[in-house]
Amino acid sequence: MLIRDNPVLTRELLVNLRSPRAFALQVAYVAFLAAVVYFYWPPEAGGTSQVGPGKARRLFDLFFFGQFFLIALVAPTFAAGSITGEKERKTYEMLLSSPLQPTTILIGKLLGSLSYLVILIVSSLPLMILCFLLGGILLSEIARAYLVLVMAAVTFGLLSVGCSSIFRRTSSALMVSYLVILPSAVLCLWLTRSDPNNLVQREFVSFLTVAVLPPWCLALWTVVAIVISRRLLRPPDVGSEGKDVVDEEEELKYAIGVVIDRDLFPDKLFAPAKRTELMPDGTNPVLDKELRSEIFSQGTLMLRVVIQVSMVLSIPLMAFLLFVRWERAAYYVAYVLTFNLLVGPVFSAGSITQERERQTLSLLLTTLLTPRRIILAKLLAALRVSTVLTFLLTEQLFLAYFLVRELRDRIWTLLVFLLIIATTCLATTTIGLLCSTLSRRTSVAIVLTYMTLLALFIGPVGLDWYLQGFSFTPERLAALTITSPYSAAFSITMPLNRGTGFSIEQPNVPPPVLVELIPGLGLGLPVWAWFLMLYPPLCLVLFGVTYLAFRWRWWRAGGLG
Amino acid sequence: MIEVMNFTKRYGDFVAVDDLSFTIGKGEVFGFIGPNGAGKSTTIRFLATLLRPTSGEGRVAGHSVVAEPMAVRRVIGFMPDDFGVYDGMKVWEFLDFFAVAYEIPLAYRKKIIGEVLELLDLTHKRDAYVNGLSKGMKQRLCLAKTLIHDPPVLILDEPASGLDPRARLEMKALLNELRGMGKTILVSSHILSELSDFCTSIGIIERGKLLAAGSIQEIQRRLRSHRVIKVRVLDESTDRAAAILRDDRGVHTVERYDHTVTAEFEGQDEDMARLLGRLITAGVTIQSFAEEPLSLEEVFMMITKGIVN
Repeated sequence: MLIRDNPVLTRELLVNLRSPRAFALQVAYVAFLAAVVYFYWPPEAGGTSQVGPGKARRLFDLFFFGQFFLIALVAPTFAAGSITGEKERKTYEMLLSSPLQPTTILIGKLLGSLSYLVILIVSSLPLMILCFLLGGILLSEIARAYLVLVMAAVTFGLLSVGCSSIFRRTSSALMVSYLVILPSAVLCLWLTRSDPNNLVQREFVSFLTVAVLPPWCLALWTVVAIVISRRLLRPPDVGSEGKDVVDEEEELKYAIGVVIDRDLFPDKLFAPAKRTELMPDGTNPVLDKELRSEIFSQGTLMLRVVIQVSMVLSIPLMAFLLFVRWERAAYYVAYVLTFNLLVGPVFSAGSITQERERQTLSLLLTTLLTPRRIILAKLLAALRVSTVLTFLLTEQLFLAYFLVRELRDRIWTLLVFLLIIATTCLATTTIGLLCSTLSRRTSVAIVLTYMTLLALFIGPVGLDWYLQGFSFTPERLAALTITSPYSAAFSITMPLNRGTGFSIEQPNVPPPVLVELIPGLGLGLPVWAWFLMLYPPLCLVLFGVTYLAFRWRWWRAGGLG
Repeated sequence: MIEVMNFTKRYGDFVAVDDLSFTIGKGEVFGFIGPNGAGKSTTIRFLATLLRPTSGEGRVAGHSVVAEPMAVRRVIGFMPDDFGVYDGMKVWEFLDFFAVAYEIPLAYRKKIIGEVLELLDLTHKRDAYVNGLSKGMKQRLCLAKTLIHDPPVLILDEPASGLDPRARLEMKALLNELRGMGKTILVSSHILSELSDFCTSIGIIERGKLLAAGSIQEIQRRLRSHRVIKVRVLDESTDRAAAILRDDRGVHTVERYDHTVTAEFEGQDEDMARLLGRLITAGVTIQSFAEEPLSLEEVFMMITKGIVN
């Protein structure tokens, strides 16, 4: 019953795997991996003759890390919507009132959402075996890599299903899943990194992955599965379609840790107090409604989790990256950027689709509000919340620049970092809003936004890493990365630290890599300058497209019909 | 006040509304009737400027629905069949939101919100959260929102659907009051009895085509030739009665339920008497044999069923 004849699993498999799109995506994925291997294949290898282990290992690492992050990124997109989707479609109560065991539902949901991912990973196996042919890699290493991948898939999937059972909306579940999964994925990789030339370390890591990781994973799975099963057996969130009035004051009484108080700084920056009087003339009612009424419409739980997790993570990161190894300040900025990448889309990618899903769009569209005012209000509201939450994490940067003398001497870099963060906030919000206008459902809009942002922000970094194996000049490589705020932050050169010959009098700052986008013009600028010049006009164009799309798709085109 | 001229809406091959035309005069209450999926909501959404027609035109208070949507929105109050409310908003905030959206200046807003709440008997719920209201209350709130800018034309899509009998009656009383205020109302429903009391005219639509339009009496008169006979039988001879009825030339359809057989019949009083005679000679123990008076609901059923079958 758990796997065979599991109706939940059957339905999920049908929905996920039946479409031609699923097959096309798989073909594209394998073709992409094949291309990576093809271009990477050393020309001198010629058949099965072996080459140096360095190249083979680089390819092996690329595959392993690539797939590991693919799992971390894609598992939540399938699994985080598995139960919230039932809640949103209002089929949750029907499902729960059936005689199905909670475990059956859980297994069905988990396997259903992971099946496609597992198929993708398995279909990459033949290509991974090719690395084996190049030599330098043991078969046991490949087996171990796949063991880790499968364990990662189940762990991340189960955590996402857990979030899905706790939250009411896919967007909240998805974001909190990412917030839990991505840091643990990075931590996991950091703990198991090993120097390929250090045999003892390699042995230790393989001991970790084979003997230590599986029992811990199993324990975690059991705990999460019990929690989810309990929630499925006695669901606390059904009745009145699970969306009774959320009483903020009541909720805050039972809140653990951070409480949000609309009257206090900085909370009032993103959640201004509720009105007690009518709006003054000239107010944009949509903006007012978004900020004062709707921000906590699903309760404050999601925001509280987000603020607490990000703050707790920021403290050790600040200590290590801003004070001990201050020349790595860009890594801290990367953390802030990742936070915005995760949180930013949640507030914008749902802004149009949610009006549709809640059936308020037709009420809004028959008023005298122009599409320009509606869209502008949506942008400003989402931008405000996302920017304020992100900038809460920059106070650590200010502190470091105030206290660490070496950083204080290069105070202009703080300004550039802040500009990069602000520009990223603008980009995530604008792209989210565009995706929300183009999609019919919030869950689709959010996934579309994440995918677009990953392609723009992380894609270039991965490409840069891959192409380092080829003979490209650093300038050519850097030119590819101007869309990524990460590359922009890392392109700000910091003086080398004490141990490697630093002196206050003569800070040893490596020269930045200058990128010339238009050859012959002599305009060589570092990546961060290009980044800061690229996004503001790009966002303006995207906003224009969003406006036109909204006007044609919803305001005048009868997309509601 | 409302004119629909050759309105057609196609989705690919599917024709949702086919060449629809009708006119509603000032102060009229027009009942728009049809089964689910007939094209009522499509037509209403078109008039509410939410839908672009494949072809055709509509005018509300002299403004083109296609070319001047903003002018049309100013004069109509629209209540969709399925609507949601914003989370985390109180009743007065919800109304204030729409009042600002309809560009009502602050000086008037307070008074208007109070009046509308009074009219819809929601004053005691002024500070309640909208998503905590019952379905009937929400429906009234949505009507309040529809009236906030005092529009001369009201377009209401299924205003009473999903309401309990009491809320239904209250909604009916409200619509009567609005009619008294001289508003032109287009109201759709699939429940005819709801509308028959106060509609000045009706239009029946099915599969995107207008089957009949005009005053209720006019349409009833046109359908008089159809009569419904109800026969109650005492013992187990129901089957026999149904068979005899089915056999008769004048009978169109026969339905049986327990000891009752209902037949749709076309013919004069003499034909009815002859039918009764046949049943008695066949040995059917009849408890009662009578013609059912034709309600408007049945008129509607007859008109629409003809096409479905």
